[in-house]
Amino acid sequence: MIAVSNKVNLHPPQEQLQKFVAGELSIGLSVTVSAHIEYCAACQQASAKLEQALSADWDAAATAIAESEFNSILDHIAAQPQSVAAATVDAVPRAIVVNNKSVSLPRVLAKIAAAGLAWQHLRGGISQALVKLDDHTRCAFIYMKPGSKTPAHTHSGNEVTIVLDGSFCDELGEYQAADFVMRDPSHRHQPRTVEGCLCFSVLDSPLLFTAGLQRLLNPLNRLLFLHR
Amino acid sequence: MNNLYLQVDRFSMGFMVHPEPQHAPNPKSAVLALRESASNEELLIAVGNQQSRIAFNTLFNRFSNRIFAMGMKLTRNEQLAKDLVQEALLMVWQKAPLYDLDRGNAQSWIFALTRNRCFDLLRKIKRQPACVSADDIWPNDGYYGDTVESVDSGFMSVELEQVRAYYAQLPTAQLAVIEQIYVHDRTHEEAAAELNIPLGTLKSRLRLGMGKLRTLVEAE
Repeated sequence: MIAVSNKVNLHPPQEQLQKFVAGELSIGLSVTVSAHIEYCAACQQASAKLEQALSADWDAAATAIAESEFNSILDHIAAQPQSVAAATVDAVPRAIVVNNKSVSLPRVLAKIAAAGLAWQHLRGGISQALVKLDDHTRCAFIYMKPGSKTPAHTHSGNEVTIVLDGSFCDELGEYQAADFVMRDPSHRHQPRTVEGCLCFSVLDSPLLFTAGLQRLLNPLNRLLFLHR
Repeated sequence: MNNLYLQVDRFSMGFMVHPEPQHAPNPKSAVLALRESASNEELLIAVGNQQSRIAFNTLFNRFSNRIFAMGMKLTRNEQLAKDLVQEALLMVWQKAPLYDLDRGNAQSWIFALTRNRCFDLLRKIKRQPACVSADDIWPNDGYYGDTVESVDSGFMSVELEQVRAYYAQLPTAQLAVIEQIYVHDRTHEEAAAELNIPLGTLKSRLRLGMGKLRTLVEAE
């Protein structure tokens, strides 16, 4: 998954894309939308259009900055030197190795991965590397080994998953690289994969497991979520 | 005339090093900025090319309250919103030389820059991990700049008459840029101001023109 594609199936809804462009999403969701956009030609165009539209409607506040403050700010700024060269964006390695396979990541996720991922191996061939990006979401890289499945679960909030490599499916469909998969509390699902799958997932509240012994873990799960 | 040679850099086709004269005050920019009708693009280019404080002042007037509004919306904190006005406009001042018309209109450029600054400001306040910055999340908002072409030290000699024949085959706009840089020995910034075009446009015309020249020379 490297090239920009015209053939991505699942996209963030327009409203979410607009919040992304306006800077109103949590860091976790912003990262996920950004990763999707890097690989989706349609969303690149849509977000560029939204940026145009939002900036054209950019209204001033009723409260003005006081004249006195205004001048001191202005003097301070004009005393600063200007950039002559474009800021260089840090080069980070794009590839990470998961289960002996090298996977190329979107830039923003490569940056996160470069800070170091601590993989935890869960049951059933599922591994996760939690990443703390903000106080509102629980973000993680999730790797599912070929032939594995997660416990069936619902969410008490929204879950967004972007597929980075391989594919997975659940009761509602099959998802390929760059797909932006959204699940809300009404969905009970059990993701599984045949070929193996690397995802990045953002949850705005803990998972609630709905099957078997996992059910017992729910209160603990919530506790873990709140006191990470 | 025939024995007059120019040394031409094979790759950049640069006619060797030219001195960078000191910036002379350019009265044109003042006139431009004083005109209240000047577009945001013209003002931003004047800030970028000539460090025009008057043009910046006008931009400041037009945008400080908008930036404050975005700051209030995103941070819900008056002090942070004021900090954002200062920090975002400082960015506008500092990054203005990187703006060109290829990046879209000036208002959306300033909008994106303000949003990014606000994101980083909030991240700092909340002590959130530094591994992701606004530039990682929104990479297309004017931070790429021009890619610098590598310059090789191979030289070739070209007869002046021949160069003139090549020049005749260039589009007027590219020729005007090349003339400013290589005949009048102006810096990129001065040439952009003289031709009243954005620095980025100047650089791309220069690149295109020199590329064409190189093709013509190599075709000989």
